[in-house]
Amino acid sequence: MDSVIKAVVVFFVLWGIIRVSGRRTLGEMTSFDFVLLMIIGGSTQRAITGQDYSLTNALLLVATFVALDIGLSIVEIKSPVLRRILNAAPMMLVENGYLMTRRMRRARVTEDNILEAARRLHGLERIEQIKFAILEATGEITIVPSVQGGSVAPQARPR
Amino acid sequence: MDEFASRRYPINEDMAFQRRSWIVERAGWVLLVAIAAAGLSGVLGNGPASWQTVRAGTLSVAYERFQRATRVSPIVFTVAPASGNETTLHVSAPFQRDFEFSSIQPPPLRTRAGPDGLDLTFAAQPGAPGRIVIWAHSRRYGLSRITAAVDGGAAASFWIFIYP
Repeated sequence: MDSVIKAVVVFFVLWGIIRVSGRRTLGEMTSFDFVLLMIIGGSTQRAITGQDYSLTNALLLVATFVALDIGLSIVEIKSPVLRRILNAAPMMLVENGYLMTRRMRRARVTEDNILEAARRLHGLERIEQIKFAILEATGEITIVPSVQGGSVAPQARPR
Repeated sequence: MDEFASRRYPINEDMAFQRRSWIVERAGWVLLVAIAAAGLSGVLGNGPASWQTVRAGTLSVAYERFQRATRVSPIVFTVAPASGNETTLHVSAPFQRDFEFSSIQPPPLRTRAGPDGLDLTFAAQPGAPGRIVIWAHSRRYGLSRITAAVDGGAAASFWIFIYP
């Protein structure tokens, strides 16, 4: 009985901690994030299994986690509000060649992060070549390059 | 153009919700730091806030009042000089029920289990204070109320809270 309870508690506590830590922890992994992922796995594994190394306990835990995952994905489909709470919504960071610096500061994304995504995805060199840069729910940054591939026509800078 | 206004293309934003999320995020960071601070202080076990000493008559018990399940912790019983060659430590039934003993130092000469708890009899040096250490961990969560007494003397009562 306590295996299932521990699995549910660990699942939601870990989800809460990672959700609260912000999207930067999930996408665009730095070396710190990689170490964090390894440590989280190791720290929670013994706490969940305790001293019960039986096959039954292992299968019970796997079944519980998969059931939780499926249950939450069904909940997400049925409720857009819960979907937004469970997962972050995408947010624009670059609009028509201009960095939205206040949003970037709140999301803890730097210009270097955006340029790295632009180079990796489209081989772009400058921010002015980006029509839209979007911080996705997964923490990944996606880029929509400007149509001509060159600089976007100057717009009023966002205040 | 307001940076915090919701954009509609190519994604449909809700910046009001986003700003509320950021507030919740920051509250979460404070909570994480508070948890780490609680861990350092011993409120979650193993720290200055956890160690306690309780005295009753000639018996003194040093123990951790906050413990974590499966983690071994010592309970140190210091007894006043014994008059004979033996001294008997009595621990109440909840201690025996809630804790699994890893080791007892020194090993007892004999043990007796009864409905009211466990009696552990140790060799003693007449006139010399004795120190008995029981290393134990609990497999049960929650509050455990324990009493201990030596040679039928005054009982020391204390509680231990076990985190899961």
